Amino acid sequence: MARFLFERILAAILTIFVTTVAVSMLIHIVPGDPVKIMYAQSQGTTPEQLEEIRARLGLDQPLVTQYFNYMSRVLQGDLGKTIRGEQPVMDLLLQRLPNTLALAFSALVIASAIGLTCGFVAAYKRGSWTDTTLMTSAILGVSMPHFWLGLILLFFFAVRLQWFPVAGNGIENLVLPAVTLGVTNAAIIARLTRSSMIDVFDQDFIRTAHAKGLPKALVLYRHALRAGLVPIVTMIGLQFTYMMGGAIVVENVFGWNGVGRMAIQAIFQRDYPLIQGFILMFAFVVVAVSILMDLLYLWLDPRIRH
Amino acid sequence: MQKRLKQAIGLAAAANGQVGTEPQVPVRWRQFARHMRAMVAAATVNRGARVGLFIVVSLVLIAIFAPLITPYTPEQMGAGMALTPPNTSYWFGTDEFGRDIFTRVIYGTRLTLQVGVIAVGISLTVGTLTGLVAGYARGWTERILMRLVDVLFSFTETLIALAAVAVLGPSLTNAMIAVGIAAIPFYARVAYSVTLVERNRAYFDAAYVAGAGHLRLIFVHLLPNIVPPLIVVATLGVSSAVLAAAGLSFLGLGAQPPSPEWGAMLSSGRDYFTQASWIMIYPGLAIMVTVLGFNLLGDGIREALDPRQKS
Repeated sequence: MARFLFERILAAILTIFVTTVAVSMLIHIVPGDPVKIMYAQSQGTTPEQLEEIRARLGLDQPLVTQYFNYMSRVLQGDLGKTIRGEQPVMDLLLQRLPNTLALAFSALVIASAIGLTCGFVAAYKRGSWTDTTLMTSAILGVSMPHFWLGLILLFFFAVRLQWFPVAGNGIENLVLPAVTLGVTNAAIIARLTRSSMIDVFDQDFIRTAHAKGLPKALVLYRHALRAGLVPIVTMIGLQFTYMMGGAIVVENVFGWNGVGRMAIQAIFQRDYPLIQGFILMFAFVVVAVSILMDLLYLWLDPRIRH
Repeated sequence: MQKRLKQAIGLAAAANGQVGTEPQVPVRWRQFARHMRAMVAAATVNRGARVGLFIVVSLVLIAIFAPLITPYTPEQMGAGMALTPPNTSYWFGTDEFGRDIFTRVIYGTRLTLQVGVIAVGISLTVGTLTGLVAGYARGWTERILMRLVDVLFSFTETLIALAAVAVLGPSLTNAMIAVGIAAIPFYARVAYSVTLVERNRAYFDAAYVAGAGHLRLIFVHLLPNIVPPLIVVATLGVSSAVLAAAGLSFLGLGAQPPSPEWGAMLSSGRDYFTQASWIMIYPGLAIMVTVLGFNLLGDGIREALDPRQKS
């Protein structure tokens, strides 16, 4: 078990290391002169001023020095300042990260509740009319672009029926984006839950449990669900990172004030310090979640623990 | 992680299933076309796959014959009154500039298929080569390559695509490249796991003992055998590439107006949604039908390759 954890943590450190290298070099891969591009929108920057900015950002130093400078700042919690407004990137990200996490997490709860139930029922009633209906809806759900579903929900529930406000950042504004992200991902979870549960239902120990005359409910919940849960939980963990990615798009549909919306604006404004900070933070969250999932996996699956 | 991926996506399972169903006969390039035909035939036993194949073939025909089907040109402003609801002359209505939405959606098919083919082409080529070389070479090459793939994989496609667009700048071509790059780790993993299985089979040892060189072993012997499972991944990959690129265009990071790209149409039409819902309905439906077609076809081929996935 210690070895498993050690390997996972080593992998996480490697991921973070590669990310920091990639992020600190990002600005150099940009075709053309990044400083000119970044400041293209501010009027009347003279060549001398550009030189000065380059020196201030440390872009005139050797790449290795740049990396170490960047890292020593990052380790002190300093992600630099935005090009526009000169605000500390770290503060901006930390202000909005809770919003994105709240969205991703509530979407995950919705997706798991719908997906697990539908997948389980479909697997249990395999080949029936219920199964066909559920799986047809699931494949339609997988194929639906979430920004489109978001627009439709926004139109119907916020504009037509006025059940929810169109924009804002209160808890009532979280409902529609969370449902949007949750429903499209529920379809994925339902499909995977179904195939995972079908594998379990075919196993000998389920037949034995039935043959022993155990009540059906007991077989389903105590025996089948428990065995099927391990791969499903892992998969839901992976889903969380997809949710974080999906949140970027959905935030923009609903004007939800999270890091994704800020990142898109940063890309438009070519605000590289902010983009760099965003990527680094995103990678950090993904790695943290994957370590948490590994711990959960250990706890759920005794075969790995021993 | 490898184990988790298999369980989570089931695609590597399809890959191993391919080996399970036909353990004796290695695929040779000479019989490759026949093998592919057999695969499609096996897949279309499934009703969903038939629907998928029908949708995909129709989309290709629509894209080719777009000028013959459509009454206007996609960027022709004032083809009708602005914001005309759907009627007999404007089947899907008109947009805020009086452009015919039906024409634009039809022409959008060309862009969407192009996105699918180019993005998947990038990820399939680079990913397959990476996985193939890692699985063939073993040792340090394998460890470094697959570690790198693992790292990229953990970033999620959206983040890689956004980073790529941030570097390259917003345009449809860059969005295709970004989406293509973002999916590379996925293809690399599948190619890698299939290569590991294939290189343990008798035909590989036979070719090795007969003195085949590295390139011959990789491209003549291994490659035709790892392609079938990768086709499943690529078919399903077209649908995720189409979704991702439409998403980028919707955010304004892909196709730019007045391009009739579906995501871009949704993005520019959203201000008129309340007055003219048809502006939003049809491009979204078009994305959904396209993605559905490739998903159904991909699922069907996967089931044909791997009977264990059958219900």
